[in-house]
Amino acid sequence: MAIPLKYNLRNLVARKTSTGMTAFVIGLVVAVFLCVLALVQGVTRTLSVTASTRNVLAMRVGSQAEMQSVITRDQAEQIQSMPGPERDASGKPYVSAELISLINVARSDGKTFSNVQVRGMSPIGLACRPEVKVVEGRLFNAATNEAIVSRNLSKRYNDMKVGDTLKTGSFRWVIVGLFDASGSAYESEIWTDASDLQQQTKRNIYSSVFVRLPDSEAAARFIEAIKGDQRLKLEGKTERKYYDEQMITGDPIKALAFIVGFFTAIGAAFGAMNTMYAQVSARTREIGTIRALGFSRRSILVSFVIEALMLCVAGGVLGVIFTFLVFNTFLTKPTGTMNFRTFSEVLFNFRLTPQLITAGVVFSLAMGAFGGFFPAWRAARLKIVNALREM
Amino acid sequence: MKYLSLIWKNVLRKKLRTGLTVSSILLVLTLIVILTSLLQAMQADPSGGRGANRLVVQHATGLGNFLPLSQRQRIEQIPGVVACSPETWFGGVYKDDRPENWIGQLTADPDIYFDKIFDDAKIDPQVNAEWKATRNGFVAGQKIADKFHWKKGDHIILKGTYIPLNPDLVYIGPYSAGDEGNIFFHNEYLNQSSWFGANKYTGLYYLKVDSGENVPRVAAAIDKMFENSDAPTKTLTEKQFQLQFMEMMGNVKLLINGISLIILFAVTLIVANTIAMSARERVTEMAVMRTLGFGQGHILGFILSEAVLMSLLGGLVGVLLAKFLFVPALVAAGNKTSISAWLVNFRVSPQTLVMAFVVSVGIGILAGFVPAIRSSRLKIVDGLRQVV
Repeated sequence: MAIPLKYNLRNLVARKTSTGMTAFVIGLVVAVFLCVLALVQGVTRTLSVTASTRNVLAMRVGSQAEMQSVITRDQAEQIQSMPGPERDASGKPYVSAELISLINVARSDGKTFSNVQVRGMSPIGLACRPEVKVVEGRLFNAATNEAIVSRNLSKRYNDMKVGDTLKTGSFRWVIVGLFDASGSAYESEIWTDASDLQQQTKRNIYSSVFVRLPDSEAAARFIEAIKGDQRLKLEGKTERKYYDEQMITGDPIKALAFIVGFFTAIGAAFGAMNTMYAQVSARTREIGTIRALGFSRRSILVSFVIEALMLCVAGGVLGVIFTFLVFNTFLTKPTGTMNFRTFSEVLFNFRLTPQLITAGVVFSLAMGAFGGFFPAWRAARLKIVNALREM
Repeated sequence: MKYLSLIWKNVLRKKLRTGLTVSSILLVLTLIVILTSLLQAMQADPSGGRGANRLVVQHATGLGNFLPLSQRQRIEQIPGVVACSPETWFGGVYKDDRPENWIGQLTADPDIYFDKIFDDAKIDPQVNAEWKATRNGFVAGQKIADKFHWKKGDHIILKGTYIPLNPDLVYIGPYSAGDEGNIFFHNEYLNQSSWFGANKYTGLYYLKVDSGENVPRVAAAIDKMFENSDAPTKTLTEKQFQLQFMEMMGNVKLLINGISLIILFAVTLIVANTIAMSARERVTEMAVMRTLGFGQGHILGFILSEAVLMSLLGGLVGVLLAKFLFVPALVAAGNKTSISAWLVNFRVSPQTLVMAFVVSVGIGILAGFVPAIRSSRLKIVDGLRQVV
């Protein structure tokens, strides 16, 4: 027969200080774990959110990032003339030859600098990406050194509001608009006209060619066609694959989450174990009495494990609440980390998803099961006579 | 000191409990050691923290924009400049593009690089001389060389990315320094390529200034000189140059520091909780000791020392385990994964170990304080009357 849950609950409440502290510690551990995972989630989502399998990026063979790739004007024109891409109402293909450059700009705190990616694109570049919308001001015009930046970027850096002139080294841009890219990696970029950027960087080349196709099968065929063209010496990748490959940016953080989670979880479980052992030894006579009343050893075991689980889940819930508080007070702005493939900063938001919350609670349950089992085992093995005799 | 055996007896009274507490301290301290070393590896300083009067000249617009080689001569003429080497980030692919095979690849002027600029790196003079004489030779940081088991005479082939060239290089020997994540080969090698920068451009200039006082003056002079040219420059000290990468990870640094603080706080609570539990169980005993003539200060001292002793134990074992077991195991495991490029400069410094040890004593004092004061303030009568 099972011992009523009320018994465990009351016991936890009766020793408020020690159980409260244990739950608090577990809460902290869960919160730390969740924060790191939410960071990984944020980076991953940024790199995957709108990346589509029907868009193709053509780059030099072996390039890991657009930055590293070099495409000549001839090569770009050849790709533009290949059959397959979707066309707009006037019959122009959705193909945009683009040049990527890095600029060093001041953050809005005025003290630190960071590298931001500038994308010079063909006039059709914006139309190729329907998920990107100009939300303030207007689109840049060619041959005027105008640029648009993402709304997130304009909050994070100086001189990126509509009407500002962005100066860096010998480059000058007038910011004429802000765009929203639905949380994708484009949110970390400045967009301008390709020939303007070629002039400013004095490089008469492109980095990549962006091609929009009707569907993913057409994209696969297009990639084959690029590969098959011996003169071209280029390589095509779907946009999805390209950004998937950049997700290694999240790997070190994932490893960090794993290491931190592992060490803190065992540490906190030891703490919970101590609390539960203390509970068992303080309640030895009580346990003897319960046994004498006819409850089996198994009931005692189950009861104490459940008690530990209750303790830790309380901690887990506390941890989720902590994480929410931290996110809503300190981490409301987008934050950035370095994308190792591009050497530029990628902006993202911490994301606490329902899966993560579940993970946090499961994590606390694991600590409870581990921390509770051994004390419960000891409680279950007590001899009734000895237990009742205990002072 | 004469009470040490009493305190020790108390620590060992509940062996399991002490064992668990000590274990949680050691786990957390190990984690702190790892996190701290990780932060240090991320900001790997080529001069190993000494700062070596070195400047890095980059394009004012940002990395990835190139500087004309013609600037070299003009920089060398600035008083205070000892030597100046063009340096280009090759950014090629070694073996395949899996991150575990990532290497920092730089080109430099071998005639002056280790002699006059990177002069605090340790390199065998024989190796250096041979490198100078071998046009396709390269030297590698000791850690990188060890990681790939390169032996003298081994050939490696890099696949160029933005520079269309696949260099076939011969390994000459290692160098050791604060940052051992890079290999260096000849600037001349790039000039064979059809890269638009061949014989015309360089990524950076790396230069050495004769004295610390001259560093700011030289930096300002360089930037002034090219201010209105086609390629304006931004001259940074070596440290600032490294920091710009670090700053991009700024929030990650904050995160790691935040994590460290929170888990230290959590472990303090765990220890405090244990000490409080033991103190509560021994109320009667302590009241008896008080009747025997031990003062309040004694009781306070006993409990506090118990906490400190436990933390010391945890700290000592934690630091040793971190140094000799966990860190080597993690590095070994990490080297097989995509984070291995991060681990090249990962090492646990003596300072970190000392820091962790001091922190563990701190945990003990903080954690012992409240229970110690509470026990010492308890009235003897109440203590004797209390039934546990």
